[in-house]
Amino acid sequence: MLEVRGLHKVYDSHGRRVEAIGELTFTVEDGRFACVVGPSGCGKTTLLRCIAGLLPPTGGEVWVEGNQVTGPPPGLAVVFQEYGRSLFPWLRVRDNVELPLRAAGLSRARRRELATEALAAVGLADAYRAYPWQLSGGMQQRVAIARAVAYQPRVLLMDEPFAAVDAQTRADLEDLIRTVWRRLGVTLLFVTHDIDEAVYLGERVIVLSAAPTRIKEDLAIDLPVERDQLVTRADPRFTELRAHIYAQIQKFKHTAPQEELS
Amino acid sequence: MRVLGIVAGRIGLLFGLPAILVAIWWLASADSEHFLFRPLPDILVAFRETWLGPRLVEDLLPSLSRLAQGYAASLVLGIGAGVLIGSSRTLRALVEPVLELLRAIPPPALIPLIGLFAGIGDTRRIVIIIAGCVWPILLNTVEGVRAVDEVLADTCRSYRVRGLSRLRHLVLRSASPQIMTGARQALAIGIILMVISELQRTDRGIGYTVEQFQTSFRYPEMWSGVLLLGLLGVALSLLFRLADREILGWYHGLRATQKESR
Amino acid sequence: MALRFRGLWLGLAGLVGFGLLLELIPRVGVVSDRYLPPTSRILAELGEAAGADRLWPAVGNTVLTWGIGLALAVVAATVLGVVIGSVRFLRAATASTIEFLRPIPSVAWIPAAIVLYGPVRAGTLLIVVYAAFWQMLVQVLHGVVDVDPVARDTAHSYRLGRWARVRWLIWPTALPYVVTGLRLAATVALILTVTGELFIGTPGLGAEILRAAAGGAVGLTYALVLVTGLVGVAANLLFRAVERRSLAWHPSVRAETPA
Repeated sequence: MLEVRGLHKVYDSHGRRVEAIGELTFTVEDGRFACVVGPSGCGKTTLLRCIAGLLPPTGGEVWVEGNQVTGPPPGLAVVFQEYGRSLFPWLRVRDNVELPLRAAGLSRARRRELATEALAAVGLADAYRAYPWQLSGGMQQRVAIARAVAYQPRVLLMDEPFAAVDAQTRADLEDLIRTVWRRLGVTLLFVTHDIDEAVYLGERVIVLSAAPTRIKEDLAIDLPVERDQLVTRADPRFTELRAHIYAQIQKFKHTAPQEELS
Repeated sequence: MRVLGIVAGRIGLLFGLPAILVAIWWLASADSEHFLFRPLPDILVAFRETWLGPRLVEDLLPSLSRLAQGYAASLVLGIGAGVLIGSSRTLRALVEPVLELLRAIPPPALIPLIGLFAGIGDTRRIVIIIAGCVWPILLNTVEGVRAVDEVLADTCRSYRVRGLSRLRHLVLRSASPQIMTGARQALAIGIILMVISELQRTDRGIGYTVEQFQTSFRYPEMWSGVLLLGLLGVALSLLFRLADREILGWYHGLRATQKESR
Repeated sequence: MALRFRGLWLGLAGLVGFGLLLELIPRVGVVSDRYLPPTSRILAELGEAAGADRLWPAVGNTVLTWGIGLALAVVAATVLGVVIGSVRFLRAATASTIEFLRPIPSVAWIPAAIVLYGPVRAGTLLIVVYAAFWQMLVQVLHGVVDVDPVARDTAHSYRLGRWARVRWLIWPTALPYVVTGLRLAATVALILTVTGELFIGTPGLGAEILRAAAGGAVGLTYALVLVTGLVGVAANLLFRAVERRSLAWHPSVRAETPA
């Protein structure tokens, strides 16, 4: 379970004061899949980093699994956008997946077991001996996902993970992540700039305003649980939802939330 | 048949020019009456008689042993201090100008000073080698540690890879290409210092022996010493190449892929 | 604003701190001041030497030997490097020879230099040029070979002549390597210059250091070593500035190619 209470973040550098996050409060229940969208530069990544314990908030709190976050919490895994730079180039794929487990002190046999399972789950069972840089972008991101899966986290954070891959690969990865989510039952927070992707993937979409970021809207996605790239995206409800979110974002891309007309 | 042609071509390219040069050397010097430039055959005979006998143990081995000790100590000191300094921005800023000054002193200039401190004997010579070898290793380590990829560092933080584990799996590995560059420079300097630390002294060693030959006008033997140093340089360089391939195999593969995709 | 100069202040503090440390260690008695004179005494000796008439000629000699040796090596290496690098057959044919001759320690030539030339500049130049040449050659070769295939094809499709290609394609690609090579060659050249002054007897700072040490003038010895270091620092700064100016346009200043 993931709770964000009154999160507030201000950057202070070189005499410039930037209020990245105004005030954010929301909760993601156990095992739910929530997406976060917002205009460019709206502090989505800042939010994620605060939740992940990589960035201390200026105000407010984050609670993961009942514990307040003051640094990277246990049982939480992050998948970054830059897959190329988040994998260790000196380790083979399987060793990459095993590394967090090794640091956590698991036995070799257990690590091997978890890694093999995870790689199979993302469809890379055969690539375990390769080096990451020998693989395509999509495959590298799968390795990063496998690494997160093997870690057996309770909460999974993903920061625009598919922004840097091509459209076809992205479609495959989207389906992969939904499959992984359903199998593992993790609490998943997925940040993206792609509205279609957010609606396709999430059970719920949190729409953020421009900086200083606040929650614009918290939308429940009432699409069927079984999602399909062709069928779901052709569903009229899908189109409705995405149009609504798009309009919201456009409306408040340049105005501060205080000026919102009721 | 074609394969034979290709192989012959390769061998030709590899040995052709060297063979020609050696042949020219042989022929040009065969009847030499010059006092300094003795015939190549004489030099080769002198080589066998000088270095393949007792001098192997009395001069060659001690020199190499001192080089090995000095080099190893430089690695430990250089990498150790380099990691410490490279990890702290404050420490780096504090120490940088001092290091720049110390490393700009050509190591041979320190030899008379070290003589004051460390007396005569092996300690003196090893300290001389360390005084020269530690700098490229230290400075390159600092550089390598400083330049650890941010995304990789964040990944380690979020997976709670910390302390010794982080040092071993992230910092040292990430900096290893840069450290190897420093180690390579240090090796070249080490050989230079190994030789000159033995000049104008009274103890055994390669440099000492060659100098003895020179001052007693035994020029074929002197040249055989030059030849030995050449072979030594090549042998150590080859050894280093092998070590480099082992340790940095992943790096060369990575660079090759990056070049292809340009 | 203060943040930007923080690095500067820290660095200055470090230098001063270091000087203070070396002042205190012999005074407190951790090390005898016969071996390590306090900083103040070293600086006093330096001041004295600067006023007397032995220091500056020595500096001049060292810089001259270093400069001549470096220039010779750089010119030879650039010419040869460009020629060899541009012709694939030459590259392949000379590769093994270069790989063999390169690691031969330049100091191996000291005895021969002594016999051939005696304690004059030429002997030291022999070892300086030999060492600096190989450093530079390797970098030039890498630079000439490293031309981006896409850029090369573009130049080809625009039918650029030989000279235009050298100017717009090969030279900009090779420039970072050339500059790196210059820096490495200069460093090695200085080391070998001092080596030659110490062991061949060529006049210069190395020879002065030897005289001071042999004569028991410990403070002066340290002062001279400091001067030698300052020469090195000046050289480093010079080449860093050259690097910055000539590569200001370069998007990614390349790391040294493993020599």
